[in-house]
Amino acid sequence: MSDNVSDGFKLDIDSVGDRAVVAVSGALDAHAAVLFAGVLDAVVDTGSRSLVVDADGVTFIEAAALGVLVRVSRRMRESAGSFTLRSPSAVVQRALDANRVTELVDEVSEVSEARTTPEPRTTDVRDDEPRSGSGSREADLGLNVGPRSSTATVDAALRLVTALAETTVENADGVSVTLERHGRVMTVAASDDAVKEMDHHQYDTGEGPCLAAKAEGQWFYIESLAEETRWPNFVPLALEQGIRSILSSPLMTKDRPQGALNIYSSTERAFGTRQQELAALFAEQASEILTTAAPDETDEQVNLRLARALNERQVIHQAQGVVMERDNLSAEAAVSILHRAARAAGIRVADYANDIVSSVGRSEGKQ
Amino acid sequence: MGETIDPLEQARRDLGLSMAELWWRYFALGGSGTELELEAMLFQALMPAVTDRDVLAVALNERFSELGADHPIPYSDDEL
Repeated sequence: MSDNVSDGFKLDIDSVGDRAVVAVSGALDAHAAVLFAGVLDAVVDTGSRSLVVDADGVTFIEAAALGVLVRVSRRMRESAGSFTLRSPSAVVQRALDANRVTELVDEVSEVSEARTTPEPRTTDVRDDEPRSGSGSREADLGLNVGPRSSTATVDAALRLVTALAETTVENADGVSVTLERHGRVMTVAASDDAVKEMDHHQYDTGEGPCLAAKAEGQWFYIESLAEETRWPNFVPLALEQGIRSILSSPLMTKDRPQGALNIYSSTERAFGTRQQELAALFAEQASEILTTAAPDETDEQVNLRLARALNERQVIHQAQGVVMERDNLSAEAAVSILHRAARAAGIRVADYANDIVSSVGRSEGKQ
Repeated sequence: MGETIDPLEQARRDLGLSMAELWWRYFALGGSGTELELEAMLFQALMPAVTDRDVLAVALNERFSELGADHPIPYSDDEL
């Protein structure tokens, strides 16, 4: 981790058919790596057979982000797709060399070739259906994440998933993510203001598919709002805004629903099996991002866990010191003795270390 | 294809341990990497120090032990 990294991290996605180009720039630190992984997985999950990661603008890369590249390149190859790391910056090239990530190096294309490729552009797969507000889509896809702000990173990742869902799911006219934060239900990502308003109608009336998905942890599909009899307060408001069908999928962290991914359409029965599967994939990606970035543990639980872990580390460290002194060993050799002795005794290293430390305490007490 | 899974990663999968769960165990045992660094080690994107690798082996062995198996992962200085 490097705290002096101040330049943000930016992702641009260009997805046409089964080919996707993800241009990444700025600092790929540990925080950014989480987002980067979520986005690349989302791209692969939605059926891209050819994935190009353009790393020309990367100014800093941490091992974790390299790990993401390796993992995703393997995923692509396991599914007989192709993965190309295009024009890696000098920083990336050094990291590849230093970590001997040869399998990626094999896939690196020449810088000259990359230069002939046009700049990544977001392509609307529904060119035949222009609508107001679509101009903001490209802006939504370009992310600027400041360093060290995990909420901002999560929100940015969710905005990206939202934008990706909107361009990929056929008939989707708007996508949003609803989350419960600090006891309040809110829209943290929305493809446009109309969608945000739809969400707010649900919060205001206290009903609707998005709230139901969030409350019950299962998906809700309104095939036809005109025929819908549930949610009598919300449905007329949605109809008024031209919405005809809605698909809400729950976002789960561990087994608990945390929110919902909502897809709105102005078409009746807009979402068939294929679109429902895609929606489920995007919901899964969003859930993954939430789980990774914000574990489903209360601060108290984390603190308790941390206290226990730190306590065990401390005991092991003390026992290591005892063994170093007793047997005149290096730190590494002493730790190794602890590992093997605990294994021989069939007990946990922490328990073995505790025995050593407390026996020293006792014998010192006797003297 | 030269697809090789790190034996430690294979063990993690066999045990059904999440990356986060393994990290907590590794950290309690004195490991100093972050969860993402751990993932990078397991996917062979980052070369772990010998001691770090042993700490991971211990973390996995202790889980095996809880399930009744007898420390199947060797440590770096075990006689082969």
